[in-house]
Amino acid sequence: MTTIADELTIERRGHAGSAARRRTNFVIFLGPAIVLTVLFFVVPVIIDIAVSFTDLSRSLRISEFTTEQYEKVFRTDRRLSQVIGLTFIYVFGTLAIFNVTFGLILAITTTAIRNVSGSFFRGVWLLPRMSPSVLYILLWLWAVSPTEAGLVNQVLMQAFGLDAPLDLLTSAPIALIIISNGFIGASMGMIIFTAAIRGIPEHLFHAAAVDGAGTFAKIRFITLPALRWPISFVTIYQTLSLLVSFEYILLLTKGGPFYDTTVYALYVYRRAFESGQYAYGAALALFLIVIGVVVALIGWRFFDMERLLQRPRIEVH
Amino acid sequence: MIHWKIGTAALLSAVLAGGSAAFLAATPLFAQETVKLELWSRQDPSGPLRPGNVIKAAERLNKELETEGSSKRVEVAVRESPAKGFDDDALQLLKVFGIGEGPDIFIAAHEWICAFQEDGFVLKLDDYIAKYPQHFGTIFPSLWSSAKCPDGTYAIPQDAEARMFFYNKKLLREAGYDAAFVDAMPERALSGDLTMDEVLDIAKQVVDKTKAQYGVLHRPNKGPDYIMVFQAYGSNFVDPETGNLLLERDKLAAAFGWFERGVKEGVIPANNTAMEFDALRKEFYTGNAAFWMYGIWDLGSVAFPTYGLPQDEKAFFADWGWIAGPAPQKGGSPVSLTHPIVYAIAADTKEPELVVRLLGHASAADLNTDHAVTTTHLGIKPEQLEDPRYAKAWPLARATELLKITKFLPNNSHFGELNGIIYAGIQGIESGRLSAQEAADFVIGEASSSLEDVIVK
Repeated sequence: MTTIADELTIERRGHAGSAARRRTNFVIFLGPAIVLTVLFFVVPVIIDIAVSFTDLSRSLRISEFTTEQYEKVFRTDRRLSQVIGLTFIYVFGTLAIFNVTFGLILAITTTAIRNVSGSFFRGVWLLPRMSPSVLYILLWLWAVSPTEAGLVNQVLMQAFGLDAPLDLLTSAPIALIIISNGFIGASMGMIIFTAAIRGIPEHLFHAAAVDGAGTFAKIRFITLPALRWPISFVTIYQTLSLLVSFEYILLLTKGGPFYDTTVYALYVYRRAFESGQYAYGAALALFLIVIGVVVALIGWRFFDMERLLQRPRIEVH
Repeated sequence: MIHWKIGTAALLSAVLAGGSAAFLAATPLFAQETVKLELWSRQDPSGPLRPGNVIKAAERLNKELETEGSSKRVEVAVRESPAKGFDDDALQLLKVFGIGEGPDIFIAAHEWICAFQEDGFVLKLDDYIAKYPQHFGTIFPSLWSSAKCPDGTYAIPQDAEARMFFYNKKLLREAGYDAAFVDAMPERALSGDLTMDEVLDIAKQVVDKTKAQYGVLHRPNKGPDYIMVFQAYGSNFVDPETGNLLLERDKLAAAFGWFERGVKEGVIPANNTAMEFDALRKEFYTGNAAFWMYGIWDLGSVAFPTYGLPQDEKAFFADWGWIAGPAPQKGGSPVSLTHPIVYAIAADTKEPELVVRLLGHASAADLNTDHAVTTTHLGIKPEQLEDPRYAKAWPLARATELLKITKFLPNNSHFGELNGIIYAGIQGIESGRLSAQEAADFVIGEASSSLEDVIVK
């Protein structure tokens, strides 16, 4: 026969046991993620902040702690406003035209046709993502070469009778970096949207067909509402990716001609590593981190991600 | 028993005596000390003997040390960097020195030496140079100025070259210029009679009257050649009194104006800076451009082996030639630019004396001539001119006359960065983003905001 005191002791032990289990589970399941986040995100940010308050330059020596780099950012760097404007055009253009819209079109069209053909076309669109960056850009350089040997010029001159070859690298460099990045970025949206479309119960489309809905009506009233969460995710994720990525731009246009395709992340790279102004590059990079966090928070709020993350939106009950 | 003991003792004594004799005889071998030296060199197909000659020099030095009875021997290990150019290489090496992992010897473009000197990474050489006249005494005095920083000499010239405007005589004749005019151009350029704008006029005639597409082509990245144009228009970029960078707005605008006129006339392509190096060379050497602003080594490295330009002197000059950078106006001074590569020694190397002697041997006339004739670079000593191999390499002999008017890039530790800004200015003009005046303002603005101690006039 147990007393009330005994029962309380057992209950406490149970609570203590589950608390210990919770702590163990926390360490096992979240510990590695937390350690990695601290090591690869928090620590670099702290180092970046520390370096931005020094005069670290070409020979990696620090002779003083100073706010000089921030004075440069705010007072003397006349190139920054142009770079920020260009970054906005690049990110917004790539995202709106390719990563979301084109990705969506590809997902809808490749799921609307026969499965084998759809998979084939999706495979084709994934090829650039699977090939090395350098190879992908080499093909672009050949395609837009400003001579008669360039693919685009061959087509324009032979099929459309153009007199002289076009030089797109000089005349339309921003369009080129948007298109070259977009072709890669569209494939990610395509995969995520395709998975989401496949998750929509088939009977909804049949019911809509019975009600007399056409293709566009089905897309508008069934597909797009079900894709709200994936679209929000792709938009926020790709915005952050585009803000910090510049390898294709560096390989294709080297940020030029002049500064015409030098986006913010590339500008930081050029200042830090091509000129050896590491402390100034760190100060500029800090603003990129701040911009990224702000963009993520705005996106979170704008798309009401908190509500979307609570439970799946695709399933219909 | 006693006999056995005596025999054993005798045998042991003999073994000990023999062993001791052998040990004593071998002692110098065991005491030999190998000094391992690390040499940093950019992987550069235009100068494989820059590090190669140091390795050969180690053999010579070791023989010398043996003769002297020294127990020391040197061993050179080459550490190659894959940097695209000398600027990238210098930035990389500064970082390596910064973390205390620098080599004992390094090969650099001369204008970077003072950047290493400012941070205390490079050894001052004045006393050593004076101590070893047999190695350094005959190096052309003019070349030493490329190795100097404000307080002394910090490097040893390894080679020199000449930058010029190559031209295609066949195209000029096709454009209507008679042979006498075409052949007289080098002499007219040297005397100051041929001007920069006349080059643009000639190039325009070629573009208008022949099938050639381009008038004047230049390098598509940061480098020394186009600095000739700025020097022709009076910019020397360094204040002689302070050694600081000097930017003179009017002179900069005048030089940028030449590029601006070239593009407006359709002579310099608007996308010159977007083109690939090899594509530009191909355009010139296959007869699609009148002028190509570059250096003499391009003949040996590319023009002869890749595009089959005649290697025979007479045949070459029948259809091809070169001129110095012309004067801005009639009667002005022409320019040429040499860009010596130098050997330098780390300030903290353990055996500085040995390293200096090693580089002294690497600078021997015969070894330097090996480098000069195989890569079409100019030698560093007058005695090389007497070497039949050097005389046979006619581009060297002919280009040497440009050394009379040659200039250097300034040995300022920030010139590399300034040059990047100047190149961006050229790109801005050619692609139509800037006018000449705006380009001058751009260079001054960028340099003033990002570099230290810039004097603006």
